[in-house]
Amino acid sequence: MLFTGIVYYWAITMILKGQENKDLAEEEQEVFSYVNTNHQLPPEPKSNSQHTTFTVVNSPVKRKFVGSVFRNEKEGENEPGRGLITNVTVNGIHYKVFIVESSVETDDLIQIIFGITIGVILILLAILFMVNKLVLSRIWQPFYSILEQLKSFNVSNKAEIIPQRSTIEEFTELNNAVLTMSSRVKSEYNDLKAFTENASHELLTPLAIINSKLDTLVQTDSFSERQSALLNDLYTSVSRLTRLNQAMLLLSRIENQLIPGTEPVELDELINDNIIQLHELYTDKDIRLTVNLVHKTLNANKYLIEVLVSNLLINAIRHNVSKGEIAIMLTDEKLVVENTGIPQDLSGQNIFKRFNKSAGSEGSGLGLTISNQICENYGFRLSYAYKQNKHAFMVNFKLPQAPDFLQN
Amino acid sequence: MKLLIVEDEAGLRDSIREYFADAGSVCEVAGDFESALQKINLYRYDCIILDITLPDGNGLEILKALKRHRYPDGVLIVSAKNALDDRLKGLDLGADDYLSKPFHLSELRARVTAIIRRKSFDGNHLVVFNEIELDLLARSVAVNGVDVKFTKKEYDLLLYFIANKGKVVTKNAIAEHLWGDSIDVSSNFDFIYSHIKNTRKKLMEAGCPDYIQMVYGMGYKFSEV
Repeated sequence: MLFTGIVYYWAITMILKGQENKDLAEEEQEVFSYVNTNHQLPPEPKSNSQHTTFTVVNSPVKRKFVGSVFRNEKEGENEPGRGLITNVTVNGIHYKVFIVESSVETDDLIQIIFGITIGVILILLAILFMVNKLVLSRIWQPFYSILEQLKSFNVSNKAEIIPQRSTIEEFTELNNAVLTMSSRVKSEYNDLKAFTENASHELLTPLAIINSKLDTLVQTDSFSERQSALLNDLYTSVSRLTRLNQAMLLLSRIENQLIPGTEPVELDELINDNIIQLHELYTDKDIRLTVNLVHKTLNANKYLIEVLVSNLLINAIRHNVSKGEIAIMLTDEKLVVENTGIPQDLSGQNIFKRFNKSAGSEGSGLGLTISNQICENYGFRLSYAYKQNKHAFMVNFKLPQAPDFLQN
Repeated sequence: MKLLIVEDEAGLRDSIREYFADAGSVCEVAGDFESALQKINLYRYDCIILDITLPDGNGLEILKALKRHRYPDGVLIVSAKNALDDRLKGLDLGADDYLSKPFHLSELRARVTAIIRRKSFDGNHLVVFNEIELDLLARSVAVNGVDVKFTKKEYDLLLYFIANKGKVVTKNAIAEHLWGDSIDVSSNFDFIYSHIKNTRKKLMEAGCPDYIQMVYGMGYKFSEV
């Protein structure tokens, strides 16, 4: 484009220069013919665009065209011009003839032509660019849409990939492939989840039978110390199994968002109730409790919030040391449960991962996973920090708004 | 009391029947939907222990039938479906209580007793065991007509014991009854022991004989001396 422009500019300039030279040559001819007929110099004609001057010289000068300056008397300014230096001999005296012509108009012409041309080219370019962009984005829109959906695809999310209608065969094919893949992945994932849930369900009945048989067994007679100890171990194990099972069921139900129903939950009251409920548990360990609550209402399922609060509190008690401390702080933005415990930062470990538990813990290993999932369901964020030898779990009620490009 | 146990699992059904039978109550059983439906159409019960997942029907239908005929039987739903909506549905349909599997028989018994108590209210809100009198409305305890101060947990514990009198109640069951699911199984049960010690002390100071016996290593038994 630049090259074409240069060539174009050069060509026009050449043509117009040629025209000017022709004009000048014509003027020269006129001077010559005047001299031939009248044997004297013509008067120095001065027009708006042309001057001719005669100067006496000793020897003839070489004829040539030059770029020059044209003094426009009328406007009183110097304009670019083009001159022709030539000779004329009148009565044996050599005169240098200098014809100068204003090239302002020519230059103006060039500029106008060039301007218009450039303008048209630019407008064309812009239109071309916009049309291109529009057409391209229109054409690629199904592709980007699929891509976007693939990026945000979440196997546990209920949202399906929306089929993109496109007249382009490749995109339709891609679309179909993505749809098939996602639905297959989802159905397999759901099968797996259903299996977990069914397995947990099926386990409940035998567990109930074991439990009831144990309850019946202990009624039968008095047992020896050894038998009692064995029975006690059995009870404890069955109880753990039950708890684990219930935790798995609860987790799968929360993950599937199968626990609906929201109501205003008075969080401060709920925490206080929980503290009362757990009174014996922490006083048994001589734990000092500091509670600092503001009034806070959440819109959520009360049962789930109860599970969340009680999980955090029980963890704080369970993983505490004798004569330790627990601090519970509730502000408008967050709930913090801080406790003393083993002097080790746990943030490097996947504490929110299933079945990740400390060596001595006899919990289900699902407590934090469940808590985390509950938080996720309500758009809260559960985080862990270790500072000043204290483990702190924090529930942020207000997530910072994600940047726009992350939403969709 | 007269009970109907609707439960398809024979093992569980027998355990429940056995646990209730020797306390002078009449226990009938139904192993499937049809026989349960027949029984409720023929007889009235103080309380029906109703499993809602039956092989040939949904226990909730039995509950609906009961309510349709305006039968006054108390209903305790027992389900392996530890689902909240099931629970809510059951309670919405007019069940008196809900217990999810697995459970302790002592817990089941406490619940059933509570339902029967509520059903046969007729102005009587007192639970009496010899000289001990529990006022269910005021949640207070009197021994020989004299008020004895009990904490909320001690009161619950005593009520639980009386509902399961003559039975060995395990520490696990007591802990779960008083502290709910949140109780840590592995934690030592010293605080249960101290609760029981306090309850026993208060009763004996008020003039009761020592009703609470420790069954070594496993639990406690509340019974006539």
